[in-house]
Amino acid sequence: MTSVLIVDDEMFIVELYRDILQLRGYKVVGTAFDGEEALKKYSEAANKPDVVIMDHRMPVMNGVDATREIVRLNPRQKVIFVSADVMVEKEAREAGAVDFLPKPFRMDDLIEKMERLSAK
Amino acid sequence: MTAEEELRRKQERFAYYMDLVGHDVLNNNQAVLGYLELMLTNPDIDKTTREYALKAITGVRISTALVENIKRSLATRGLDPASLRPINLLKALLQAERDLKQFFPSRKISVTLEPKVDEAYAVGNTVAQELLLHAMVNLARLDREDKVEMKVRIKEQQCKGRTCWVVTIEDVNAELPASVQNKDIEEVYMQDVSTSAKLTGMLFASMIASRLGGEFHVKALQGSDGKMGTAFTLALRKANKP
Repeated sequence: MTSVLIVDDEMFIVELYRDILQLRGYKVVGTAFDGEEALKKYSEAANKPDVVIMDHRMPVMNGVDATREIVRLNPRQKVIFVSADVMVEKEAREAGAVDFLPKPFRMDDLIEKMERLSAK
Repeated sequence: MTAEEELRRKQERFAYYMDLVGHDVLNNNQAVLGYLELMLTNPDIDKTTREYALKAITGVRISTALVENIKRSLATRGLDPASLRPINLLKALLQAERDLKQFFPSRKISVTLEPKVDEAYAVGNTVAQELLLHAMVNLARLDREDKVEMKVRIKEQQCKGRTCWVVTIEDVNAELPASVQNKDIEEVYMQDVSTSAKLTGMLFASMIASRLGGEFHVKALQGSDGKMGTAFTLALRKANKP
């Protein structure tokens, strides 16, 4: 079963992703509400998640910086970047994100990306 | 501080607050859209509840389009049209039609291109595609029928001293409010707040088109059965095939 770490500073968005992913059979192994917390949880995890879903605008550390640090720790880590800032896509991909979803997206768009990454 | 500097500071502050508010609105729209879609995955919900959910999805998408138009309008300030990649208007129209159907999942929508042209490249990047979608969304909002039929014409003509592609999208059942008929979009916004709120984003569409070196207009049509229809016209500078 594909495991996921969800990173977003809005509780209701984290809950939404968790509800969607669990309904479709994915295992949510952790959540974080800012980039620093995500990095800490990622570093300490004995089993790294298959996919990280990362927001951008968050307190303490933003999503681009957190992605860069996570990919530095594990260059094979798959990060899906999700943001209402479409302008940040280039920066997110340069930091190591393998995909980008602009908010608000359709549930099927997220699942399609998850399936594609899970198959790799 | 000079008047010009003061104005620039005010514009920057407006753009900053608009960015913050827009970001939060899109985040909230994500939550509403996501949970409505989750609700629709339940096979046990009744037909009426399903229809309500689909209509709510339309509301979320229109709210999202409004925020994106404002953000795009701010982003295109001082834009050099020459820096934009040409866009194939025929492909853009097809994509806009697909996107339109996602805006109104509960309605039957058809868009007919007549007559067909082989190719039509214009200055405008993906922004032009958004403007086409914007016109279609507004027509569908003005049309009270469940079945929405739009006709699209595309022709080459001179505008602002340059050769342009002019796209006209019309719906003979989309009734334009009387106070808007045959008026300049900006004039409507300045004079009639209640109507301007109904035609969300038209002013921004007009501003964006102008920044691309083109024009965006709306006019009333004599529709079927004596009803008044509506036509949106987008003129964009013709470009060479890349």
